[in-house]
Amino acid sequence: MNVAAKKRFGPLLLIAPAAILIGVFLVLPYLNIVVMSFRMPGQGTPYGPGFTLVNYGKFFSDIFYIQQVANTLWIGFVTTLACLILGYPVAWQLARGNSAFRAMGYGLVLSPLLVGIVIRSYGWTILLGNNGLINRTLMGWGIIDGPLPLMYNALGIVIALVHVFLPFMILPIMSAIQGIDPSLEAAARSLGASKATAFRRITLPLSLPGIQAGSILVFVLSLSAYVTPSLIGGLRVKTMAVTVVDALIDTFQWPFGSALALMLSVTGAIVVVVFGRLTVMKWKA
Amino acid sequence: MSKPFFTVYCLIIYAFLLTPIAVVVIASFNAGAFLTFPPQGLSFRWYVVFFNNEVFMRAIRTSLWIAAVTMVISGIIGTTAAIFYVQYSGRLKEAVRIAMLAPLLLPEVLTAIALLFFVYSIGIGTQTMFGMIIGHVLITLPFVFINVSASMESYDPSWSMAAQSLGAGRFTRFRRIMLPLIKPGVIGGCLFAFIISFDIFTISFMLKNVGTSTLPIQLFDYLRTNFTPEAAAVSTCSIVLTLIVVVISEKMLGLRLHRF
Amino acid sequence: MTEVSIEKLTKDYGQGPAVNGISIRIAEGEFISLLGPSGCGKTTTLKMIAGFEDATEGAIRFDGRDVVHVPVEKRDIGMVFQNYALFPHMTVEKNLAFGLEMRKISKAEIRERITKVLDMVQLAGYAERYPRQLSGGQQQRVALARALVIEPKILLLDEPLANLDAKLREEMRVFIRDLQRRVGITTVYVTHDQAEAMTMSDRVVVMFGGRIAQIGTPSDIYERPSNLEVAEFVGQVNIIRGKVGSGTISTPFGNLPAAGAYADGTEIMLALRPEAVELLPVNSGTSGVPAKVRSSYYSGSLVDYRLDLADGATVNVQTFPRTRFADGDEVLIHAPVDRFWPLGPIRGTEA
Repeated sequence: MNVAAKKRFGPLLLIAPAAILIGVFLVLPYLNIVVMSFRMPGQGTPYGPGFTLVNYGKFFSDIFYIQQVANTLWIGFVTTLACLILGYPVAWQLARGNSAFRAMGYGLVLSPLLVGIVIRSYGWTILLGNNGLINRTLMGWGIIDGPLPLMYNALGIVIALVHVFLPFMILPIMSAIQGIDPSLEAAARSLGASKATAFRRITLPLSLPGIQAGSILVFVLSLSAYVTPSLIGGLRVKTMAVTVVDALIDTFQWPFGSALALMLSVTGAIVVVVFGRLTVMKWKA
Repeated sequence: MSKPFFTVYCLIIYAFLLTPIAVVVIASFNAGAFLTFPPQGLSFRWYVVFFNNEVFMRAIRTSLWIAAVTMVISGIIGTTAAIFYVQYSGRLKEAVRIAMLAPLLLPEVLTAIALLFFVYSIGIGTQTMFGMIIGHVLITLPFVFINVSASMESYDPSWSMAAQSLGAGRFTRFRRIMLPLIKPGVIGGCLFAFIISFDIFTISFMLKNVGTSTLPIQLFDYLRTNFTPEAAAVSTCSIVLTLIVVVISEKMLGLRLHRF
Repeated sequence: MTEVSIEKLTKDYGQGPAVNGISIRIAEGEFISLLGPSGCGKTTTLKMIAGFEDATEGAIRFDGRDVVHVPVEKRDIGMVFQNYALFPHMTVEKNLAFGLEMRKISKAEIRERITKVLDMVQLAGYAERYPRQLSGGQQQRVALARALVIEPKILLLDEPLANLDAKLREEMRVFIRDLQRRVGITTVYVTHDQAEAMTMSDRVVVMFGGRIAQIGTPSDIYERPSNLEVAEFVGQVNIIRGKVGSGTISTPFGNLPAAGAYADGTEIMLALRPEAVELLPVNSGTSGVPAKVRSSYYSGSLVDYRLDLADGATVNVQTFPRTRFADGDEVLIHAPVDRFWPLGPIRGTEA
C-alpha cells in the first residue's frame, strides 16, 4: 500500500471490528426477527419451512394476547408516570442543590445501577411478599389483620419497576436542568414572578427535553423488562415480555414469539411517537 | 416547596432506592432457615452453605470468566471505535455515535431474542459460549465507547503530531502518547464493561449453552423455587465483588489524576 | 544545515487549490516567514514541509533530496506547535528525551543534551516539572527546546507566539531569533502577524489565496510592496492617486519622477506610509500640501492624525509627538519624493 492509501484507509481499520460486530450481530439479527415472524410454526423444531401470516392471525384472534399487550402498556405508563413524579424533584436537587448534597445524591442514584437486576428484584420479593418485611411490620403494629396483596400483581411489578428504572428518569432530567442558565430564573424573578411561577414558567418548560428523554427511556425499558415482572408477578401476572420469552424458551414457538415481540415493539413505538408529537418543542427545532 | 420538606423528600427517594439492596444484605446474615424479617439472630451460616454449594461457585467462576473475556474484547473494539469516532469519523460522526449506542438503546430482551435466532440461523447455535459472549460484548460496548470517547475528546491531536515530528512511528505514538493519556477512559470503560457483564441476565438466559450457568441465571432459577437466605448471601457476595471493582477503579483513576 | 527548496507545490482538498503552485528556495541557516491572513495556505504549506499533509503536486527538497514520500517521522524536522503540544503526562525532561529516544541515542548522551538545551532556553532546574506547572512562556521555551534538542535538519514553527500575551510575545520574538542565529538552523516560521514576521525573518513570504504575493526582505516587503494587497497587509498605508504624463506623475503632493513603464494618461496608485510624512505648522515657511486636522489619537510614542486634504481626500499620518496639533488646525504635509512607491495602475485607466 502506498502512503496516501494507508492514510486514507488506515483509520477505517479502527472502526472495522465494531462495524462488523454491530452490522452482523445486531442489525442482521433484528431484521431476522421480522423474517422469523412470517415463518411457519415448526413441529418439534423451532420453525418450519415456508412463510405464513398465521402467527399474526393467532395474535389478533386471541383476546388474551391483546389484553396482555394492553396490560403491559398500562404497567409501562404507570411506571413512567410514577418515575417522573418521584424523580423530578430529586433531579432538580442534583442539578441545583448545594454541592455536598449533590455529590452524595449522585452516588446514591447511580449505585443501584451497579447492582444486578436479579438482586434488586429479589430485594423487592423480600419486602413485598405475604410474609415480607412490609406485611409483617404492618401486622406487627396491628394496622392490618391479614397480609396486603403486594406481590404477584401489577402493583408489585410497578413498585419494583419504578425502583429499577428511577435512575434512568433522574439522570436525563438532571442534565437537562443543569443545562438551563440559572440567570433565566433570576430574570423571571426580577420581572416580578414568584419562585413557584418562575419554576413553572421557565425551568419546567426548559427541562422538557430531559423529561421527554427520561420518559421514553423508562417506558421502553418497562415494556421490555423481563426479570422484575417474572420474579414479582410470578405465574399469576404476566407482562408481554415474559410471555414472549416463555414462548421462546419453554415452548420453542419461535415464529409466534417473534410476532408477539414485534407487536409489542410496534405498539410501544406508536406510543413513543405519539408522545413525542404531543411534547414537541417548537422553540427547539 | 419549603427547603427542609424538599430535603426530606429527596432523602426518602434515596432510601427507596437503597432499601431493597440493604434488605438483601441484612437478610444474608439471617440465622433462621427461612427468609424472615427482621432476621432471627445473626450468623454466617448461609455464607458457609453458599461457599459449599458447588453450583453457585461454578456459576460465579463462569460469570467472572465471561466478564473478563467480555471486558477484553469490548475494551479493544470499543477503544478503537472511540478513537475513530473522535479523530477520523468526520461527517459520519453522528451516525457512528448512534450505531455504537444502539445496543444500549434497544431493549435487551429483543436483542437477546434476535441473537438467539441468528446464532441458530447461521448454524452456530448455543453449543458454545460464542453467542452469549457476542451478546455480552454488544451490551457492554457502548459503555467502553462512551468512556473512551469522553477521554478522546480532551485528547489534542497535536500531541500525536508532535510525537510524529520527533520521529515516533504509528505504534510508538499510540503506546507512548495516546494510550497513557486516554488511559482513565479505557480503564473506566473496561471496568464498567466488567461490572455490566457480570450482571447481565436476559442475554445470558436466552443464549447460555447447555450446562453453563452464570451467577444471575443461577440466582434467578434458585429464587423461583427457594426462599432460604442463601440467595441473599450469594447476592451480597456479588454486590461486594462489584464494590471491590469500583473501589479499585477509583484508586487507579484517582492516582492518575493527581499526577497531572 | 540544510537548504530547503520548494518547487511548484500544490495542495488541493477537492474544492480548488489551498496552495497553488508555490516555489521557494530557503538557504542554509535562513529564517523565513510565511505571512498571510488565515486561509492563505501558509499553514498548509508548513504541514506539507513537515509531512502532515501530502502534496497534490510539486516537490519539497531537503538538500536536493525530494522528501515528498518520506513520512513525517523520518523527515528529521523539529516542529513547534501553536499550542506547544507538550505531552501532559511527561515531565519536561521526558518531553525533551522523547525525540532522542526515537533516535536510539544513549542514555548518557540524552542526559547531556537535555542539560545543554535547558541551559540554552534558560530553564535549567525545571527538568522535573510537568507542563501544566509551567507558565505559558516557559512551555513555549520547552517546546522550542524539544524541537531543537534532536538537532533536526530544519525548524518549523506554526504561529508559536499566538497564545502569549503582548509583552511576552515581544520578548519571545527576540529570544527565538537570537537562538536561531546561534544554532544556525534553517527555519520556517508561520504567522499572520506582520510585525512578528518582519522583526524575526531574513526573508518574508507573503501569501494570499494559496499563491505567493511577494518574497523579500522585511524592508522590501514594507517599503517596496509588490501590490496593494501586500502594502495593506504589512502595515498602514495611504493610497495616493497619481496620473502619469510626460515623464512625471502628478499627485496632490506635487509631481514625482515617473517610475516604471506606464503609458501617459494612466492613473496609478502610490503607497505612502503614514510615518514617512512630516507635519509642519502653516507658518513654518517650508513648502508642503495644506491640510486640516480632523482628529488625532495619542499613543505615547506616536500620534496618529487623520487629515483632510483640500480635494476631500483623507491622509493618515504618524509623527512623534514633539509638536502637537489640535483638531481643526491647519497644517502642511511634507512627504519626501522617494517615499512614494507605485503599486500599479488603477484598473480601467490604462491608456
